Amino acid sequence: MRAASLLDRQLLVIGAIGGLLSGLLGVGGGIVMVPLLVLWGGYAQRSAHAISLGAIIPISIAGVVTYGVAGEVRVSYALALAAGAVAGARLGAGLLTRLDERALKLAFGAFLTAVAIFMGVRA
Amino acid sequence: MTAATLYVALVAFGVATGAAAGLLGVGGGIMIVPFLTLVADVPQHAAEATSLLVVLPTAIAASIVLRRRGIGDLATALRFGLVGALGGAAGAVLALALPGPTLRIVFAVFLGLVAVRLVRDAIVTPERRT
Repeated sequence: MRAASLLDRQLLVIGAIGGLLSGLLGVGGGIVMVPLLVLWGGYAQRSAHAISLGAIIPISIAGVVTYGVAGEVRVSYALALAAGAVAGARLGAGLLTRLDERALKLAFGAFLTAVAIFMGVRA
Repeated sequence: MTAATLYVALVAFGVATGAAAGLLGVGGGIMIVPFLTLVADVPQHAAEATSLLVVLPTAIAASIVLRRRGIGDLATALRFGLVGALGGAAGAVLALALPGPTLRIVFAVFLGLVAVRLVRDAIVTPERRT
């Protein structure tokens, strides 16, 4: 793993891009930070994944606070989803060694395409 | 949908997103926002705000697991994330300034790009990587 300093310009730029997308779209931002950390920052896949996850903590706090001030956060919905997600994460990790990753990605990619079109139509 | 049914659906969907996130490395937010808007009938801004509040505990739980396994450097990640937090706040302010339907289209485009990347990954990956 590469040594990183606080003033590392690449890290600052990647963090800012990931944060902006996270706040704008309500997602973690890992989907852009991980590839950037690997391809541009020179991190190994696993380290990039871990750094991205850690960074999502302050990033999502900032987003939640900003949306919270505007009165947009549905706390009870979030609690119900989070309770399920924490249990599901263990399930996913357990299934990981037993499923075909390619088939899974293809199926999920097709599903997301359908959802994206549906959202666009309903907008 | 009654309130009780909705909460059962939310917990069940949470399990599905958590499992998918563990399997695909794609975060929960990408699935939670469409679910909240299309199924639970939550407006786009509120869906994104709520999604972030699910992403936060999930990221904390996953970071704890990785830290126990000795993967990554949480201190560096958190410092790196402080800059990201400025971006996060700016992104949320930008989102709040946009009308709901516009924001939903921006989200749909992003979702489409993620889908393309997953399919491309699946085609490019020669063997399963575990």
